[in-house]
Amino acid sequence: MPAALTVDGLSVDFDGFKAVNTVSMIVDEGELRVLLGANGAGKTTLMDLISGKTKSTSGRVFFYDTEITNKEEHEIALAGVGRKFQIPSVFKDLTVRRNLEVVSCCHDTRVLANLGFGFSSEGEARVDEVLELVGLTNDAATIAANLSHGQTQWLELGMLMVQNAKVLLLDEPTAGMTQGETLKTSKIINALKGKHTLLVVEHDMAFVREIAERITVMHLGQVLAEGNVAEIEKNPKVREAYLGSRAIS
Amino acid sequence: MTKRHIEIAAYALFIVVIMLAPLVFDSFWVNRLAKYLVFGMLGIAVALSWGYAGILNLGQGLFFGAGAYMLAMSLKLASQTSLQQGSDKPVPDFMLWNAEPGSQTDLCCINKASFLWIPFQNQWFGVAMGIVLPVCIAAVLGIILFRKRIAGVFISIITLALVLLVRLLIIDAQPITNGFNGLTDLGWFKLFDFEFDPYLTQTYYLIAGSLAIVLIAARLLIETRAGLILQAIRDDQNRARYLGFDVPRFQTFFFTVSAGISSFAGMLYVIAAEFASPTFMDLSFSISMVVWAAVGGRASILGACIGAILINTLTATISETKGFAEAWKAIIGLIFVLVVLYLPRGLAGFAHDLSDRFVARFNAWRSKGAAGQPANKVQPAE
Repeated sequence: MPAALTVDGLSVDFDGFKAVNTVSMIVDEGELRVLLGANGAGKTTLMDLISGKTKSTSGRVFFYDTEITNKEEHEIALAGVGRKFQIPSVFKDLTVRRNLEVVSCCHDTRVLANLGFGFSSEGEARVDEVLELVGLTNDAATIAANLSHGQTQWLELGMLMVQNAKVLLLDEPTAGMTQGETLKTSKIINALKGKHTLLVVEHDMAFVREIAERITVMHLGQVLAEGNVAEIEKNPKVREAYLGSRAIS
Repeated sequence: MTKRHIEIAAYALFIVVIMLAPLVFDSFWVNRLAKYLVFGMLGIAVALSWGYAGILNLGQGLFFGAGAYMLAMSLKLASQTSLQQGSDKPVPDFMLWNAEPGSQTDLCCINKASFLWIPFQNQWFGVAMGIVLPVCIAAVLGIILFRKRIAGVFISIITLALVLLVRLLIIDAQPITNGFNGLTDLGWFKLFDFEFDPYLTQTYYLIAGSLAIVLIAARLLIETRAGLILQAIRDDQNRARYLGFDVPRFQTFFFTVSAGISSFAGMLYVIAAEFASPTFMDLSFSISMVVWAAVGGRASILGACIGAILINTLTATISETKGFAEAWKAIIGLIFVLVVLYLPRGLAGFAHDLSDRFVARFNAWRSKGAAGQPANKVQPAE
């Protein structure tokens, strides 16, 4: 299987502090990779580096065979890397449907090409489909600012689905959710599996067990271990660094 | 019936009203109203950049002034006073007054920079420059500001400083701009062989027609996919970036459109008011535009337009009423305060809520009507 996302010796130096230090990893096409680590381990910074929010000081990032190191955010997005933020960010003054329709324009992002009215019928069909998938069909006309926290997260996931990027970076998709909401989110993410390559930052171990295939554990900006759930749970280095002397759960 | 119907009706009603206005008013008021319609166009420009793009430009007067000066230069050369200066070629009177003794009375060399005026002998050059110059300034400014990701209050500060800077330059370039006095004694704008005397109804219709076109065009622009993307960018720039949109390009495009509308308004103002002056680039004027849009409702193209017309009409009426001659500023100020406190989305927001209620009532009434007489109507107890 080809590698969808390759990170090669990536580092960033914030005035002497290496938030991410020579991190290398290969995520295969269709894989769901979970990034695990304590606060400050560099998980979100790694995502920032991949998606272009932060510029790296050394190392390279590849999307399939294309190098995307330190490109502009929108160029990386156009190449095929989508991102969901930890704090849900949607277009809050627009309705849920409009939010998704905006995204359906993103396959042609030129200004003048978008001076027309209305959306393609495939685009509209996709929007309907995604509304159904994330369970927001009945809220299609709601202004996004009035959604609950969980619904906002699902809307953002829905936007990524319409964007249809090959690689998706999800930063704590279940942050602040109730158990029921977390369960629904894991269903949505499982539906994305296979069609997209996913890199997910997550703390909630129950949720990780639900979705994870392989886990990469980060500690102090470096990769500490990589493996499946069982291997990681048994790994003594992980126990020591991330969990202290207690076991996972 | 939906809200969309009500909105279309509101736009249609507004256009009908401004088209019928000359039937009611005398030529003095018609000319005055024409100027207020021009301000209405400025309201549209502000709503587009502030309300829809989230860019609070406090230097909108820069584009208005640039458009005004470009056309005024042409009209100045077309004026009688420019042709009666002892030369067969037009020379603006103020250049002669300030000319060094013995200098040649010709645009080429009456002073060092007067050659800049030569192409303006053609009125259409003035018209073209009135759009091209401000649009170029806006495009360059937009590219610099938005590529650097300058946002929010910093855009306001930069544009504010810029308009004051240009105002200073114009006042300083006295030999070619007539400094503080501005360009006065202008000729009339000519279309084919028709001369637009500012007090003619035709001139009013030139302006009212332009306003109607700009109003509809701006409203349709918001309705396009690009307009929707722009609103998305206003709500969350970062989200839009990570979806692949080149944010600065959209911002620059709409910033430039807004500048183009302002400069068009500047030219129309010169036609109606017969002068261009550095006061167009006063800070207070640019801020007034923002206030008009805020009162009318910045999130509505029509609202901001009506806000501008209404406030100016009100200001004129109150300030000329005996007894209020001293107090009118306080009254206008009070209206602003009340609107900001009680109608934060402006008059348009208020109209929006009203139409929401009306649509709900209407639909309830119609569904009741369609179902025939309600069967289980509760009878009041005897």
